[in-house]
Amino acid sequence: MTSISSILIVGAGQAAAVAASALRDHGYSGRITVVGNEAHAPYERPPLSKSVLAAVDIPEPAIAVKAPDFFHSQQVDLRLGVEVSALDASARQAVLSDGTRLGYDRCLLATGGTARALPAFPASSPAVHYLRTLDDARALRARLRPGQHIAVVGGGFLGLEIASTALGLGVDVSIVETAPRVLARVVPPIFSAWMQERIAQYGAKLYTGQAIADVQLPDDAGQPAILGLTDGTRIQAAAVVVAIGLAPSTQLAGGAGLRVDVSNGGITVDAHCRSSDPYIYAAGDCTSQTRADTPLPLRLESWQNANEQARIAACAMLGQDAEPAAYPWFWTDQFDCNIQMLGLPRPDLDYIVRGSLDSSSDSPRFIMLGLHDGKPYQALAVNAGGDLRALRPLLERALPIEAAQFADESMTVRAYAKAVQALAATPG
Amino acid sequence: MNWIKIASVDQIAADESLAIEVQGKQLALHQCDDELFITDNVCTHQYALLSDGFLEDGCIECPLHQAKFDLRTGQAMCAPATVGVQTYPVKTEGQDIFVAL
Repeated sequence: MTSISSILIVGAGQAAAVAASALRDHGYSGRITVVGNEAHAPYERPPLSKSVLAAVDIPEPAIAVKAPDFFHSQQVDLRLGVEVSALDASARQAVLSDGTRLGYDRCLLATGGTARALPAFPASSPAVHYLRTLDDARALRARLRPGQHIAVVGGGFLGLEIASTALGLGVDVSIVETAPRVLARVVPPIFSAWMQERIAQYGAKLYTGQAIADVQLPDDAGQPAILGLTDGTRIQAAAVVVAIGLAPSTQLAGGAGLRVDVSNGGITVDAHCRSSDPYIYAAGDCTSQTRADTPLPLRLESWQNANEQARIAACAMLGQDAEPAAYPWFWTDQFDCNIQMLGLPRPDLDYIVRGSLDSSSDSPRFIMLGLHDGKPYQALAVNAGGDLRALRPLLERALPIEAAQFADESMTVRAYAKAVQALAATPG
Repeated sequence: MNWIKIASVDQIAADESLAIEVQGKQLALHQCDDELFITDNVCTHQYALLSDGFLEDGCIECPLHQAKFDLRTGQAMCAPATVGVQTYPVKTEGQDIFVAL
């Protein structure tokens, strides 16, 4: 076995921190260098659109991935505010923006991505905001004042979370989404419908099936932006937040000749998170990977995926076996609901519901199972995370579901899940 | 030790957690692998009740973001939690379950 004495991690976000930690946990005592272009030590991004954005007259919550002394005590060389400008894959060297060259035995690309930009909304404009970094969140937070009106372009998870947080701060919100419904790519129509009712309850104006037809952006922050929609509606907003997705950062990979997926734009990796170069791995938002049940490679933008791929890449680099990736799981907190998703969206699922789809309740609670041939592949839970967790083995094993039994609330979900597994265990 | 009765054994099923309020404290009583444990009920990561969570392998998993805590020591076992929960001594006498605060 080749001995590895130096590992370079490009990027200093969630995947990078978890990978560095996993390397040490798995007995690697060689050099680890983490290079990130942000000024902050690795931090968690999910709170940026929630508690960080909401911290208007209260202290900002701590969001560091690792305790402050982690990098020092674990001898991880953390270089912040530095870019890797190129990877020389044949020499196994990285060229840094400060001119230095760093040799590596193995390299992990944990470069994440940048907020996808709309040309009509340049980030340099004072009224325009994108949200990917802590600095972005702070800048947006400074614009959120009660009674102001903001426009959110994009009705995906991030746009809706931003809208929810802004409403909670007394800001009026208009949301513009080009698809006929919110969250169109990831949830069934029945869930979008419930979500849209909830959004209306909270007082946001939602424009679906509308694109931005024209924009007038002010020269200074004191003036409003004016958006014209395709149907002629005009929206005046103190600020416009554009949340239309993530562009994965793959310039280094491309420059090094690594395979990058044409459809999803991510760095192609195998089940061990190895790229097309055997010395270079990738993890997190920047990767494209074919998973056990998916016919096509996916770029999975989730906190869990960053953690799981970081762990798997670290083990693979050290030539160790890793537990396989956990069943895909995702959460979003918005409009006073904790919404969780298990599994990946598929167009061929029939959905059954347990609980009530009442959007007006203070604390709605229901679970939806998406079935194909009577077997569950995706589950959506609102304020029912513990129950969803109990259902997980049913999805992992694709156990047959009887709809009436699932929906019957006289039996707890845990008892139901146990019964289904017990049935599967009995022969014949 | 100041033992306070909080529940009876028939109130808690196997692999279940129960929310209990004692002297203004929000606690969770857990029965995992035939053993009883008591922890604070509020997750240290974000406001969520561990009694709504999931018990497995000697840990309680928070229902909001799946932070795991060791039932015996209260230690935070995985992200996103970094701070452990407080645990309390528990004893059973006959049908009654007691916590020591």
